[in-house]
Amino acid sequence: MVEMEQLQKEAKEILKQGKVKFVIGYSKGSQNLTATPVFIKKPEHTSRLIWDPTCVQNLVKFIVDDKQKQSREKKPDERPVGIVVKGCDSRAINVLIQEKFIDRDDVYILGLSCEELGVVDEKKIAQKLEGKKIEKIEFAKKNNLIVSTKDGEKKIPVKDVLADRCLECKAHFPVIYDQLFGEETEREVKEPYKSIKKTESQSPKKRWDFWKEQLEKCIRCYACRSICPMCYCDECVADSINMAVTAETTAEEKAQKIKWIERSPALSENIGYHLIRAIHLAGRCIDCGECERACPVDIPLRLLNKKLEKAAHELFDYDVGFDHKKPSLISSFKDEDPEDFIR
Amino acid sequence: MEKILTKKEFPSWIKNLKSFNVYGPVKKDALWEYERIQDPDKLDLNFKNTVLSPKKIIFPQREVILDFNHKKKGKPEIQEALPEETKNVIFGVRPCDARALTLTDKVFEEEPGDKYYLRRRHQTVTVGLTCSDPPSENCFCTSLGGSPHSTEGLDILMTELNHKYYVHSFTDKGRELMKAASDVFKNPSEKDKKDLKQVHKESEKKIKRQVKELSKITDKLKGMFDSPFWDEESMSCLKCGICTYLCPTCHCFDISDEVLSSSPLKGQRVRTWDTCQFPYFTMHSSGHNPRPDKSSRLRQRILHKFSYFVDNYDDYQCTGCGRCISKCPVDIDIIEVLEKVKDYE
Ligand code: SF4
Ligand code: SF4
Ligand code: SF4
Repeated sequence: MVEMEQLQKEAKEILKQGKVKFVIGYSKGSQNLTATPVFIKKPEHTSRLIWDPTCVQNLVKFIVDDKQKQSREKKPDERPVGIVVKGCDSRAINVLIQEKFIDRDDVYILGLSCEELGVVDEKKIAQKLEGKKIEKIEFAKKNNLIVSTKDGEKKIPVKDVLADRCLECKAHFPVIYDQLFGEETEREVKEPYKSIKKTESQSPKKRWDFWKEQLEKCIRCYACRSICPMCYCDECVADSINMAVTAETTAEEKAQKIKWIERSPALSENIGYHLIRAIHLAGRCIDCGECERACPVDIPLRLLNKKLEKAAHELFDYDVGFDHKKPSLISSFKDEDPEDFIR
Repeated sequence: MEKILTKKEFPSWIKNLKSFNVYGPVKKDALWEYERIQDPDKLDLNFKNTVLSPKKIIFPQREVILDFNHKKKGKPEIQEALPEETKNVIFGVRPCDARALTLTDKVFEEEPGDKYYLRRRHQTVTVGLTCSDPPSENCFCTSLGGSPHSTEGLDILMTELNHKYYVHSFTDKGRELMKAASDVFKNPSEKDKKDLKQVHKESEKKIKRQVKELSKITDKLKGMFDSPFWDEESMSCLKCGICTYLCPTCHCFDISDEVLSSSPLKGQRVRTWDTCQFPYFTMHSSGHNPRPDKSSRLRQRILHKFSYFVDNYDDYQCTGCGRCISKCPVDIDIIEVLEKVKDYE
């Protein structure tokens, strides 16, 4: 069991000692069901930290944010950032270190093990409530959620509403940390790629129809990109100004810049955006599921990434984010790597 | 005009609107969206809040402004591409979303007037639906001068009374729409009128969330441009476009040329939604960005809605629909931000 008090105590300690400039963790959400990210600077505020299955976010994005902010500052505070991570999130840190976006010393990792659980999927909870509005939701003992609707209280076992990614999770505990809370419990995952089974078995035509319908919905709010810890490029091909413009950039250069994708949320452009993003996440996506969770129009983005994760595993025996000392998939090769697809 | 329409007869009304493009909330998987419908049975008036408001019909995410065509010889041809002249009707408009249209009207009606928006707006009849039960846990329309049965921006308001609707039209457009199927409507009884009042009164009480003393907040905001408050509040912001794209009152756009062929040069000039939350929104062509970080962007969103808009149009640019709260992936809650402004030292 993860003791919340232990976590709070440790956070308090590292803040007191000035080991970290601040701690990123979870605190209770305002109205929505999920926890909310919290940034704690003062030791006396660490009691705001919580840990329960509503802590869905991957906070590693904020490490990326801080790194980018530092690069703009004249005298940045270079002390590490304290960060609370789950298993999946910890693998994102590994990828960032592998890619040399951050150093190991940039982060002080407070790792939490999900043990036998994981985090909830709000959509599954909504389904359970058959459209009834949630008036109050509480995480109670014995791994139950107590949800109040106008028809009274309902007890929902967390197990019944776990996010798909948690059901397919390869490690329920952080693989990199400075302090670990909870146990590195073993848990058998029978079908690590279960969610893509259905689409994989479909004919190309059926799959095309499915993705066409899904991607037509995209409004290009870019929440999927904004929330992704692996999307840290300064320039993105998806933007209409996809170049770093400086005072020296000439009008000519600006005019000549190719626009790969139009801003119009037309199917062709949406597909362009999503294919580029998916390919750029091959061997990098750690399946925290944040893109899919953030999407306001419920596009099942996880399926795209999961498919590529599976390809990396099967073709190159590569599992993402387990070892930051290993070279990344894209920057390395082995003699035995398959190459029959290169023609 | 005030009439009664049974739920059973509702589809007949729609079937009589042959000359109209009919839009309304349609359920797809777990979400509702306003869609153009052919079959009245597709309409689901028992809906929770749609992801996007009817703004997407009046102010579409992509609007063609002009077509251009430049053949090798000869002058370039430029053709203005105004929206088609059609008659549209949107059913199931929430009162907050209808009020939002009246706010956007103020902006697009300014001289010389936005032809594209105004044409779509004028050729669309809005049929509202009283929120007898608030469609979102984050509704707070009553804090902003609205109510679950407000009629601002609507041509017709329908209110559900058991197995029938109380249908009230306030404009010529609305009355005309009812006359298109006059035989399906009955006159309301005294009891119906009493029931209507009751439902309206009850509906207000069901709104759970509120912001108090907004005018105090507006005053306070005036002195907070340089406050560290925005840094603190925006720490978790992702700079995505959800809050503004989903907002029924946000109306910023970008204009770009989409080239369809390079020789001969042919294409379209389009306007697409844009948002103050995207880093490139304010980037100058020199590369300088006056709003370089997320704190200045959150500040912009709040100040535009609760300070600048008040200065310019004497109204808040928010109608309390709650979408930005419900859909924010990191739980930034506009009500909380406003409450914190009030208490900020
Ligand atoms: S995917 Fe694994 S590590 Fe991540 S929240 Fe779920 S169970 Fe925990
Ligand atoms: S979050 Fe969803 S709607 Fe927004 S850009 Fe990504 S896929 Fe499109
Ligand atoms: S600011 Fe938020 S609550 Fe207000 S109208 Fe816009 S989306 Fe709705």
